Amino acid sequence: MRLQYLFSQAIANLRRNPLVVVSAVVAVFVMLMLVFSATLVRWSIDKDIGRWDDNVRVIAFLTDDLSSEDLATLTAEVFSWEEVDEVVYFSKADAFDEFRELFEDDEVLLNVVEDDPSVLPASLRIKPVEAGGYSAIVDRMVIQPGVLKVSAAEEAIDALVARSNSMRTFAVTVSFVLGAAAVVLIANTIRMAIYARRDEIGIMKLVGAGNWFVRIPFLLEGLIEGVAGAALAATVVWIAHPSIVQMLSTFSDPGALDVPTLYLLQQSLIVLAFGAATGLLGSVFGMWGFLRD
Amino acid sequence: MIRLENVTKVYDGGTVAVRDVDLEIEKGEFVFLVGPSGSGKSTLIRLMLREEPVTDGDIWVAGKHVTKLPSWKIPLLRRSVGTVFQDFKLLPNKTVQENVAFALEVIGRPKHVVRSQVPQVLRLVGLAAKADRMPQQLSGGEQQRVSIARAFVNRPLILLADEPTGNLDPGTSVGIMRLLDRINRTGTTVVMATHDHAIVNAMRRRVVALDRGGVVRDEHQGTYDPAEVAASASPAPASPAAES
Repeated sequence: MRLQYLFSQAIANLRRNPLVVVSAVVAVFVMLMLVFSATLVRWSIDKDIGRWDDNVRVIAFLTDDLSSEDLATLTAEVFSWEEVDEVVYFSKADAFDEFRELFEDDEVLLNVVEDDPSVLPASLRIKPVEAGGYSAIVDRMVIQPGVLKVSAAEEAIDALVARSNSMRTFAVTVSFVLGAAAVVLIANTIRMAIYARRDEIGIMKLVGAGNWFVRIPFLLEGLIEGVAGAALAATVVWIAHPSIVQMLSTFSDPGALDVPTLYLLQQSLIVLAFGAATGLLGSVFGMWGFLRD
Repeated sequence: MIRLENVTKVYDGGTVAVRDVDLEIEKGEFVFLVGPSGSGKSTLIRLMLREEPVTDGDIWVAGKHVTKLPSWKIPLLRRSVGTVFQDFKLLPNKTVQENVAFALEVIGRPKHVVRSQVPQVLRLVGLAAKADRMPQQLSGGEQQRVSIARAFVNRPLILLADEPTGNLDPGTSVGIMRLLDRINRTGTTVVMATHDHAIVNAMRRRVVALDRGGVVRDEHQGTYDPAEVAASASPAPASPAAES
């Protein structure tokens, strides 16, 4: 009976100021939708980086005058470096085959290369042990004799990492500001409810209602507001997640970005917990200085 | 049942509301606190309920050391003390019986207790027929009866009433006093602050007179003014020395 009573009081409070309650719920909703979306975007970026990790290669183009002994020495040397996982020699013929495959539709380009195969140099394709180790390999490769030019997909990797980091900073900053706004709005709804019920509270205390009996409806009110905003955010993000994960992704195949349901569920629960915490925090601030004894 | 020892209350601005009061009230007594406005009657009642802390001294109410009571035990103190005020303090959006039931609900009494106690106490105060009315549909006297029913429904050991007839006409006041007297006969200690001469003189109960925060007179079967004491030749005042 008491639990039922406490809940009915909380619901009555919520009904009293619908507009203020809605603004508090919307604040929680916007904040948590942003947090949840940012989490999913980061998930897709991390997946991107993971894909790159496996395919990162440093390509060292070789001069045409390199003898086969020099090549063997160089290959052995590079393979002995601890940051190197694998070294594959790509001859001029291999390069030409690859080129023909990549540009099979472009006859003009193919003719130019066929006329003068020397434009496609032979190369060593080096796979680093870790994707991040590519720069050390580049630094060592450029000073090797017989190396024409060294290239790596470094800009693309760095850009992804930077994007992921700035995404995190942006999301954390904006959620913090919105979170603070949500707490203040919830605190405001609690204050208004306390004010509206001040006579009732006075009588409750007079007849000996316990302090927590007076406080719990207000805590519940904040909790309900927080969880409602969070549930709304989780639902919207769940429905919209396929487009959210595409936002900053470099994947061309959408199937590669199927977010596992378990992950979505786990993140939704975290979002709900955050909503609940925001609501309770708002209630505590709202009651601060009131409802002592 | 109630004991005050050297109780002093000084407000922040330096106003002395209660000055060095010693008072002992036995179980089942009916005591009038009389005196002009600002003499400290209401403050004394607030101190007994721990609505305010004392500045100095000790208070015991219903076996509880009020001045040393931790704040989480204050609700327990208030459950053993019923309170009635001049302005009734009823909830306007609840019916008569809901107002009375509220006092039981908020202290967690089970539903069946609420269902049996509320009609019983409404019969006691003579409002059984108006249980479903709203407070604003009742006269002042009836509203005060509801407030007394709410204070008494939990069968408190003590009933504190602060000017319960202050807003009522003399005829209605008599009815309220009969009710308080009836409650007193059940063994409940009643302490009532008032400046209604007629009531005090008619009831002939213990009178504790306050002036500027101090007790100036304490007599059994007393009257409102000391002059009336002499005229009625009642037993000697308990503290004649306090008179100035």
